Amino acid sequence: MPIITLDDLGYRYPEADAPALEGITARVDPGEVILLRGPSGSGKSTLLRCLNGLVPHSTGGQFSGRVTVCGLDTRTHLTRELGTRIGFVFQHPDAQFVLEDVEAELAFGLENLGLARPLMRKRIEEVIDQVGIHPLRRRRIATLSGGERQRVAIAAALVMHPQALALDEPTSQLDPQAAEDVLQVVLRLVAELGMTTMIAEHRVERIAPFVDRIWTLESRTMRDQAPRAAVADGGARPPVVDLAIRAGWVPIPLGLRDARIHAPRLPAATQNLPPIDGRGEVICRLEGLSFRYDGARAVEGVSMTLRRGQVTALMGRNGSGKTTLLKLIAGLQRPQRGHLHGEVTAAYVPQDADALLFAATVEDELRGLPPESVAPFRDWRHRYPRDLSSGERQQLAIAVVAARADLLLLDEPTRGLDPTVKQALTSFLRTRAETGASMLIATHDVEWAARTADRVLLMADGEIYADGPPRSVLGDSLVFSTQINKLLGGQWLLPEEVPV
Amino acid sequence: MIRNPLAWCAWAIAGLAAAFIDRSPFLQALLLLVLINVWLSYRGRRGSTYWKVGAVLAVIPILFSAALSRFGHHLLVKLPPIPIIGGAWTWEAVAYGASTGVALLLTVAVFGLLPSTIRSADLLSLLPQPLYRAGTAVALSLAFVPKTAASFQAIREARRLRGHRTGWHSAPGLLVPLLLTTLEQAIQYGESLDARGYGSGHRSRYHPLRWSGLDAAAIAASLAALILTLVLPSGPYNPYVDLAPTMPTAVSLIAVMLLATPAVTALLPRTDHAHHHA
Repeated sequence: MPIITLDDLGYRYPEADAPALEGITARVDPGEVILLRGPSGSGKSTLLRCLNGLVPHSTGGQFSGRVTVCGLDTRTHLTRELGTRIGFVFQHPDAQFVLEDVEAELAFGLENLGLARPLMRKRIEEVIDQVGIHPLRRRRIATLSGGERQRVAIAAALVMHPQALALDEPTSQLDPQAAEDVLQVVLRLVAELGMTTMIAEHRVERIAPFVDRIWTLESRTMRDQAPRAAVADGGARPPVVDLAIRAGWVPIPLGLRDARIHAPRLPAATQNLPPIDGRGEVICRLEGLSFRYDGARAVEGVSMTLRRGQVTALMGRNGSGKTTLLKLIAGLQRPQRGHLHGEVTAAYVPQDADALLFAATVEDELRGLPPESVAPFRDWRHRYPRDLSSGERQQLAIAVVAARADLLLLDEPTRGLDPTVKQALTSFLRTRAETGASMLIATHDVEWAARTADRVLLMADGEIYADGPPRSVLGDSLVFSTQINKLLGGQWLLPEEVPV
Repeated sequence: MIRNPLAWCAWAIAGLAAAFIDRSPFLQALLLLVLINVWLSYRGRRGSTYWKVGAVLAVIPILFSAALSRFGHHLLVKLPPIPIIGGAWTWEAVAYGASTGVALLLTVAVFGLLPSTIRSADLLSLLPQPLYRAGTAVALSLAFVPKTAASFQAIREARRLRGHRTGWHSAPGLLVPLLLTTLEQAIQYGESLDARGYGSGHRSRYHPLRWSGLDAAAIAASLAALILTLVLPSGPYNPYVDLAPTMPTAVSLIAVMLLATPAVTALLPRTDHAHHHA
């Protein structure tokens, strides 16, 4: 008997011109793992919210068809009843915590169910072990990193003993290591508990080998396919799949483990490295830039030049000083030591790009910008900016701030973006580079950096410790390497570079 | 150390009563010293923002009172006949404003201490069932304060990046996106509460209330301070009647000194006894 059924599901948000979902019929059997993918704004979050009744009970709007979860019809059962059947993990870790410390947060849902204290204690101890958060149990949530918070959020959902788990892009706000930790937890739950799991996730390369089916949402409708058929069809897919399709590998490998069987048949990687393009005019020069927060080192003695026409990726673990360095160059922080030379118009797009949007419509946000900046947003011009999906908001914020700048400073611009939008962002940045702008981009997205940047800086403890072309810097990195590099080694970074 | 939320609630009520009922400058100064001691024992040097906000709040009534009141005989300065603020500024008006201002500073100090000494979970577990919903709303509001401050800073920075002014003139432009951001966060909180079974019916409690002799001592001292403040208050200080304050009674001094109990207990070892509620 299926644990979840969607029967001709349709939904339109209040005052929306078009439905978000239309005619979706599917079923999920116990223990299945379903990956939801689709472009930004395709309705992944909406579909997941239909499962626990947030749509339509919290959102309003026009709901048609029928969704049942563990036999309960979501139209006639409230979210708080469905919450014990399906645990929900939201995209933003901060948005889901009610209390200040981890153990109290885990108990909150159980207290709402009125369970006796010994039973609560038992469940909390079990979930702490399942999710591996024992060292965090006495911590205040405000002191946890993003990845730790998301693991606590998963534990808070699991402690209710749900029969299924819905995760709405749980890693989109996290750096690669934190994202890896969170996905490890999810995969362990799947392997050890057989937890029925539905996950919307852009990091397809990590999760694809473990899913039973992939649901692809596009133009309000959904395709339900086996993983190999789905990735062969296009959309978000792991880089090894791109390589496998080019090389004609059968069956298509979904992960590195399967791909390694085929890899020895490929030619060895070349060792010829192109030099860093140092021809562009120097647009900005940093000399010994340093900054400390209350005595704690954030940026220490950074010296470098940024040139016109260059896209530079700035990578490093959380807290390595990337954001502070961008803020120093943008003039939002004053360097405590060192100098910054260069009289250019710099534009900084922060991680939380939402803060940049405050007009009533997209058209108002873009007023006064050149036509080429406005063109990509023609279809959204009458929409309220905060009603756009997170990826769409990110695109808009970049366009709003970066249109006329010579030096673009972007902080994690690909967070929450789907592959199509990332590709569009790459094209936009390359075009700006060709017209003489310079870009410095703090990012954790190795695949995107390898595709977009022509220079990579690695940063740790406030210092830059590696500087060079992507092949040189990412090609021999244990942490910052692409999936193709992990597969083939040498200096191959992207599937299209590999001769087949 | 005092960790019991009831003990801190009793202490806070007694502290607020002392701050607002006894306006004698001597008692206010003593209460300020007591609060600084308790603060240093539990928060150390952290949380200076509360004191800065309190200081700003304390100055406002002084300025208002000095500028608008024309009563009193002790002249501070005489301004030319400017509308509203012109005329004689008196020491009595300044003293009256200062009395109110210091009371505000003391209030901010009392409230500033509570977030680091009481956890919302403990506070919620104290509430009777009918007040639980209101209590959750208060707990969420408290959690919202730092997030709203961070959103305000991010929006201010973003407006600067887009070339907007960031002074007082831009306040309406800042408030609208701040309001929208806060509303979005509130909706997400609501969804999270729903998804975790909030409002399902009878609620149980996970955290046992922990008691020690020191907690009992703190409650007793706070209740004693409250009763002494309410029943035997010091003579009211009215600078317009007599600018020089009279010496407070020994009872009033003892009432304020009792509020230092948490600072004293911070020096002593603690033995807990759990009282289970579930």
